[in-house]
Order: sequence, then C-alpha cells, then structure tokens
Amino acid sequence: MTSPNGLVCFTNCLLPQEDGSLVEKDLWIDERRGVILDAQRTFYVRGERPDRIVDLKGNILSPGFIDIQLNGAYNFDFSVYEDDKSYREGMKLVAERIIETGVTSLLPTLITQDKALYPKLLSLLQPFSTPTSATLLGWHAEGPFLNHAKRGAHAPPFILTAPEGTKSFEDIYGEQNLAEAEDWLMASGGQNPGVRIITAAPEIDGVMNAVGELSKRGIVLSIGHSAASSEVATSAVRYGASLITHLFNAMPQLHHRDPSIIGLLGASPHLSSPISPLPPYPSRKSSTGTTTPEKAAAATQTVVPVSQIIIPSAIQTNFSDASEAFDNSMTPPLSPFNFASPGSITRSLSGTLSGAISPVTPGAATPLTVHKRQNSRSELHLDKGEIADMAFTRPYYGIIVDGIHCHPNSVRLAYTAHPEGCILVTDAQKILDPNLRDGVHEWRDGKRFVKEGDKLYLEGTNTLAGSVVTLDSCVRNFSRFTGCSLGEAIKCATYNPAKCLGIENRKGTLRAGADADFVVLDRRGTALSTWVKGKEAWTKGA
Amino acid sequence: MRLTIREDPAAVGDYIANYISKRCVSLISTDRPFSAQTNRINEFAPTPERPFVLGLPTGSSPIVTYRALIKLVKAGKLSFKNVVTFNMDEYVGIPREHPESYHTFMFREFFSHIDIPPSQVNILDGTALDLVEECNAYEERIKKYGGIELFLGGIGEDGHIAFNEPGSSLASRTRIKTLAYDTILANARFFNNDISAVPRMALTVGVATVLDAREIVIIVTGLRKALALSKAIAGVEEGVNHLVCVSVVIVYPESNPLPYRKWTVSALQNHPWTLLVADEDATSELHVKTVKYFKSIERVQDEVERNQAQIKANAILLKQTA
Repeated sequence: MTSPNGLVCFTNCLLPQEDGSLVEKDLWIDERRGVILDAQRTFYVRGERPDRIVDLKGNILSPGFIDIQLNGAYNFDFSVYEDDKSYREGMKLVAERIIETGVTSLLPTLITQDKALYPKLLSLLQPFSTPTSATLLGWHAEGPFLNHAKRGAHAPPFILTAPEGTKSFEDIYGEQNLAEAEDWLMASGGQNPGVRIITAAPEIDGVMNAVGELSKRGIVLSIGHSAASSEVATSAVRYGASLITHLFNAMPQLHHRDPSIIGLLGASPHLSSPISPLPPYPSRKSSTGTTTPEKAAAATQTVVPVSQIIIPSAIQTNFSDASEAFDNSMTPPLSPFNFASPGSITRSLSGTLSGAISPVTPGAATPLTVHKRQNSRSELHLDKGEIADMAFTRPYYGIIVDGIHCHPNSVRLAYTAHPEGCILVTDAQKILDPNLRDGVHEWRDGKRFVKEGDKLYLEGTNTLAGSVVTLDSCVRNFSRFTGCSLGEAIKCATYNPAKCLGIENRKGTLRAGADADFVVLDRRGTALSTWVKGKEAWTKGA
Repeated sequence: MRLTIREDPAAVGDYIANYISKRCVSLISTDRPFSAQTNRINEFAPTPERPFVLGLPTGSSPIVTYRALIKLVKAGKLSFKNVVTFNMDEYVGIPREHPESYHTFMFREFFSHIDIPPSQVNILDGTALDLVEECNAYEERIKKYGGIELFLGGIGEDGHIAFNEPGSSLASRTRIKTLAYDTILANARFFNNDISAVPRMALTVGVATVLDAREIVIIVTGLRKALALSKAIAGVEEGVNHLVCVSVVIVYPESNPLPYRKWTVSALQNHPWTLLVADEDATSELHVKTVKYFKSIERVQDEVERNQAQIKANAILLKQTA
C-alpha cells in the first residue's frame, strides 16, 4: 500500500477549510516524511506527482482532531502516578488507542494534585508520539490555583493561592517546566517543557500577577474553576489569558448584570475600548504601593489559609464523586456588580476574593501589545457588519458537547456569540473507551458506575461521574445542537484548538508542511479511518 | 474553417473533449475496434517516443472543456501519459505560486486532476531573468517535439488569441507582449479590482506559433464573444471565397512587411484545419443562413466520416479473411 515515489494523492474527497467550509479538492502528502505537500509546487518545482491515489469516495478528509482537555482514557488516568514505567505505558496506551475517536493530538490534563507530585508527572508528560499513535502535545494543568467555591471534583486540600505570582507557579510546576520554549514541537530529545495550558482562577490571590508573564512565555492561561467577576475576567484577558476552561461549568452562571466569565464571549467594544486604560496589576494586601508587584509579592507572601475560605455547603457535598466540571447548577449566581466602585463588590461568594483585585498600583502594569487593526474603527462608526475596535481578542473557550454538561441551547448560544473561539473538548475521564458496553462497571474504592451512552452515573444514584464522550461524537453533537455545518463543527475540533495553542502550522490544518494527521469522516461525521504522519493507523471495523 | 455549434458551454466542452480524445490521445478502452472513433485514434496512438503535442489555453472558456477532459480521464477513457503540453502564455512579474498565475490556473483546473507527468508540461516562465531567451527556448522546445499537433484556444472579446492583442503580426513568434488596456481592465477583477496590481506584460506564443500547429480548435462561448466570432468567419459572412482569403494572405511579396489583423482571430482563416466550436449565444452576430450552413455541413461531414470508417473497416475485414 505504499507509494513507489512516496507521494500520495487523496482524491474524491471534501477538505475542511480554515473558514469552516468543505471544498471538493485533492490533497497531496509525502507519506515518508509524514507531511502535507504544496501540490502545485511539488508538480512544477519537484517535478513529481503522486504514484498512489487514494479514492475517498466522497468522504471528508479532516485534519486529525485535537483534544486540549483529556484527563485519561482506556482506564489510564493522567493524574495517577504509580511508577515511571506504568505511567509511560499508560501514555502510550492512550496515544495509540485514542485515534479510533478521530483524535490525533491531545493534551493530557492533570487535575489538582498534591504539590509533591507535579515535578514527577510533568517531567513524564513531555511531548510524545509513536509512528502510529496520536501525539501527546505536552500537558494542561487544571489547578491548583483555583477557586474553592468552583473547585468541582478538585481536592480541597491541594487547592492553593499564588501569593508570589509567577514564582508561586514556578514553585508548583517547577521552574524548568515553565521555561520559555521556542519551537517545542520541532525539538527532540525530550528536554523541552511540555507546558501548554494552565487553568487558573484569576481572582485568586496572586494569579493575576502571573498571567502576563506566563502568557509571554507562550503558555496559554485559561480561566476556569473561577468565580471571577466581569471586571476581573476582562482584566485577565487583557493581561494575556486566552482561553476559558469548560465554559458554563465551574463558573458563575450568566447573570445579565455581571455576566462574569461567560460574558467574555460577548465582550463589548464599549467596555474594552483600546483607549480605556488597562487595569494595572492588583497590589498585594500589604503592598507599599511603590514597589513592583513581583517585589511586593516576594516581600509579603500573604497566603489565605485554607480554613478561611468560605465553601458554600451545597458544593461541599459529593465533590469527589462528581464530574470535576459539573457543579455549576449548585452555585448561585453572583449578585449584581457595580462597575463604578470595585470596593462595593457584594461579598457573597467573591467576598474572600476582593483582596486579590482591590486598589491599584499605578504604573506597575505591563500591558500586552495592543493589537491594532489597519482600518481602525471607533466606537461609533459607519461600516455595517463590522465591529468597533476592541482592546483585546476575545478568548477561546473549551466546551463539552456531550449533551449533558451543557444544554444544546447553551452550546448554540456560546457558538453564536463567538464562533471563532469555540473549541470542542471531551474533558473525559479514564473510563473513556468507545468500546465499553453500556451497563455496570467497576470504578474505584469499591464503587461501581453505570454507563448509558455518553452518560455515566454512580450506581444507585443519579450523580454524574464525569464525561465519557468521544471527540468525534462531540463534533456530530455540535453540528446538531448549533445547526452549523459539519465543516464548521470540524473547525472547532481542529483549526480552533490548533490556533489557540499556536501550532496551526503543524497540527489541525491542511496547510503545506503540516503533519499528515487525518481523520476520514463520512458525511454524517462518523470516523472511518485515522491517518498518522501519512500512514493509515486505524480503520473502522478493522 | 469549420464551425460546430452546440447548445450551451457545457455541450461545447463535452464536444471538444470528445473530439480531442478521439482525434489525438490514446484511448485505453478499445471495445469498439471498427468504429470511426478508434480508427481516428489509431491514426495517432501516442507513445513515449512519439507523444501527442497539445497546445493549451487559460481563461474562463476552456474550464468547461478541461472538466470534460478530466471526466474522460477519471473514467479511464483517456490518458495523458504520452501527451506533451505547451501553454499559450503567462504573466511577467508574478510568481508561479500567485493565485492568478497561469501556472496556478493550469494546475488547479487541469493538471492536478489528470495523469500527465510533470516533465511533459511546458509553461512559459514569466519570472525568468532573460525573458527573450525564455521565449526563444520555448519555440525551440516546440520544434524539438516536432511541432504542435493540436492547439486548443479561446478568443477574447476583441478577438485576441493568447496575448496576441489586436494588431499582432501574423508572423509573430513567442515573445514579450504588453497587455492592451482593455485586457488589464478586464483582468483587474482577479487582482482585487486593483488595476495597479495587474501585470503589464506577458509572455505569449505568437500568431505564427499557433498557425504552425497541424490543427487548431477554438472555443467560443457566450454572447460577449459573438462579435469576435462573426469577425473570425468574416469571409463566409461577406460571401468571399475561402481560397481567395487564404491566398491573399499567403501570397504576398517577400519584400513586403507581413500584414497584421485588427481581429487576430481572423488569422485562423489562413489555417487549413481550424475548428471553431461555439454555443448558440456566441452565434448571435452571425446571419441565420450562416448558422444553418454550418449546421448542415456538420451533418454531411458526419455522414462522410461514417462512410469512410465503414470502407476502412471492410477493407481490414477483407484483408483478414483473405
């Protein structure tokens, strides 16, 4: 099945484009190098054309899906460490088997751990792949800098504040693991930090101080497990946060007077005008007001003791069994928020957080370069269909489209508000395995769970035990829920996540030079085969 | 000069694709060995040593024809393995990768979909340092292949063929040509309506290069080409004998400069084997009697061809039984 000259032409297929359309077109790849070719250049300059033609019979040749939030699968949990050998085997197992769900790149996601475990886990979670497996892109750390009130299934004793800003982050994840990395995908030898995404709550003491610095190092700062007010959330984005973790889950519900994190999808040009000053870094509680935030942080090291954090009793129950993203229905909405006087934040849930964002240290901020458009539009302009300039790009958002974690209407609402930012994630637990039959299965600690399609309950209860949805079914669900085309749904599982991670030249697109990782889908979105680096690695029913 | 009229552009494309396939290119399927089709193909039966040399145009008219040819290739009825192509023209000063370059056009609309080996594709290089040398080398290459067997072309509204704008010499060879202002305006739509972005120059085969081909097939579709078509066959319309027309041009004194034509396309009348294929819209400027005349000779032509084929087939049968 190999091509004599190493070139393969896929024909009679639909190619998803970066604008969400599906175009009938051929695609040429070099199966030896495992990359997509510039066909025209290959023809005229290299003077070759593929010896092997693959007729896809009118099906869709999509870039392989990218899952930026996967906790585990096939009974392996990225957050559980026994020994190096079994952990590495687990990584390999997931990478090799997940391709049956159309996923060719994924970001292993760690839920909040004991501080001591991070160096070990992160050193193991280097970018990894085999010639026939999906690529593990590094790691996504969800926690420990989260809001107790929105912690979901994250273990309370491990949740921390970041009183020293960036240094607190380095202390937890390891300084070398947060080092600035260029072209991490290109490098070899396993010496590169695998950090890609850190989910943190910006209202937590010190987190905001780290957002700017970590973003500059190319790390995607994601707002999640957070009760941030609209103002705090907006500031976090202006400092560089560029993603929201599992939208709608583990965050305040959409309140029209203070739409909080969800409101970022509809960020108004009026409130984010380029001329409005960027809020400076929050000062530390005992800051002198003249030192830089970093110095101030080092000097004061205020830590809010865990015991002082108010945890609403509704959330305290059952946290360990619940899906870590599935707690929002128990959280009351925030009280209305007065923009004019931040000091007057009603102290319902955010009361203990106000210290993190109150008075301002003038001049301490280092705003990110404000993105200027060529044709700048003022708040009041005459160009129909265009939006006035914004001070920042709205963040991407991960969304679990299993029909359980978000209502179809909510999915459509989010997508309609900000289609370019939509990223489908599974947030699946280690029990994810599309081959697992429905019924009762052993879980842990003598408990058993009941699997019913994409739903997973604790036996004898109706407590959801986490997500088990596969990304290919998320794509189909998404297309149904929003009414968008399959091509547009595919974009949310390929191009959008790749763009969010800044790897769209290598993954998630059909650009010349990108890795030849594909999933072939029929016109109803069912995965038929998966290709890794130019070779067919999985076929349905094989 | 022959004129074949078909209902619409799609029918024109199908007709030409079948014609080229019949006329020139090796047919893989030989299920009807004694039909007129296969006999004509066997006339050429290209091989690697003796490829079929085909001249090709760009533009909107040939797209339908290319699609019809692609269909034949995909159906296994036609192969370009032993075909060498020469394109008519290319812009100067835009890279080959430019979305509006003729390299891009040909790859997108045709070459990527058929089985032609890249080494058998020839397109003028508008980025060459020495453009004159590039043009001369192109003529040499055509000569090396023994000339062009069939030149497929389209015509512009002003009657241009390739970039041979009105006033081009009938003796012109492959050369650098400045684009006419109309052409620049017409092409601006492909360059974001920015006239300054449209290349001012192109490399193009000359009128004589086209006329040197042993056969010429011209696609003429759409109302906008109606005037050009009427000029192309002006001799017939004015009742002038074809032979007179041809002799006027060919028998000029050696010393005289070669004549030029305001309607470049009318130069085709000098060629002994030219086929114009038009759709109904394009015939709008012709006299009704002219249209009727060409339709009737097509019927007669078909009959003659059928008879000839039958005679040949019978002869072969006789030989075999003898």
